[in-house]
Amino acid sequence: MNARIESEPGPVKNRTTVERKSDREVVVTRTINGPARIVFEAFTKAELLKRWWVPKSMGMTLLSCEVDARVGGKYRLVFDHGGPEPAAFFGTYVEVKPYSRLAWTNEEGGEGGPVTTVTFEEKGGKTLVVLHESYPSKEALDAAGTGAADAMVETFDQLDELLVALGESSGQ
Amino acid sequence: MTLTGMKKHVGVLEQAGLVTTKKIGRVRNCQLGPRRLEEETAWLERYRQRWDERFDELDKVVEELTRKEKSDERKNRK
Repeated sequence: MNARIESEPGPVKNRTTVERKSDREVVVTRTINGPARIVFEAFTKAELLKRWWVPKSMGMTLLSCEVDARVGGKYRLVFDHGGPEPAAFFGTYVEVKPYSRLAWTNEEGGEGGPVTTVTFEEKGGKTLVVLHESYPSKEALDAAGTGAADAMVETFDQLDELLVALGESSGQ
Repeated sequence: MTLTGMKKHVGVLEQAGLVTTKKIGRVRNCQLGPRRLEEETAWLERYRQRWDERFDELDKVVEELTRKEKSDERKNRK
């Protein structure tokens, strides 16, 4: 598949594009208004990463965020997603080239999880971020969609809707 | 489009699971396969939205840090 979706170009906001490169790979691109050095820092320093990685609209709260952005270093993000147990996302940095390239494994799903590679390319004070997620199989990518924790939140939302609908129909 | 060209196009759609085909005599019938195009599009859009929201927040953090750095530079020059 090579389908492609782009957001409407706004006056200030940069576009985020998503492209499915193959059965197992997705590529996300976005230009960020700032130099590569600062964008790279925002990816690799815990106190900065936790400010943007979990936007409110995701319906999750970040409980803790540990980042050791060195080759072989680990990261660990723990979320409260409204479920009974918090969800942890963790992995290892496999490539760390300051201001230009970053790659990490996603190990929360056991071995053979996806590998995320990010490149940073500065142009005229702005930085093109290209994020490449490579899954071990097509099935794994299909299942990922919005990420396991997000899928969980969506499931709970759907359950809420269902309960409301059931309540309404039984009240009639 | 030539018949060979058409065969090639249908073959790609079939591989992607978007259509299934069945040959009856000289005629090959096509129908929508297990993976619907709407589902594929919805999937991509969810994925895009997640990253779009994240990058919007990243933009804010980076813009703030860039501004701060510039004002610090100005202070240092004085």
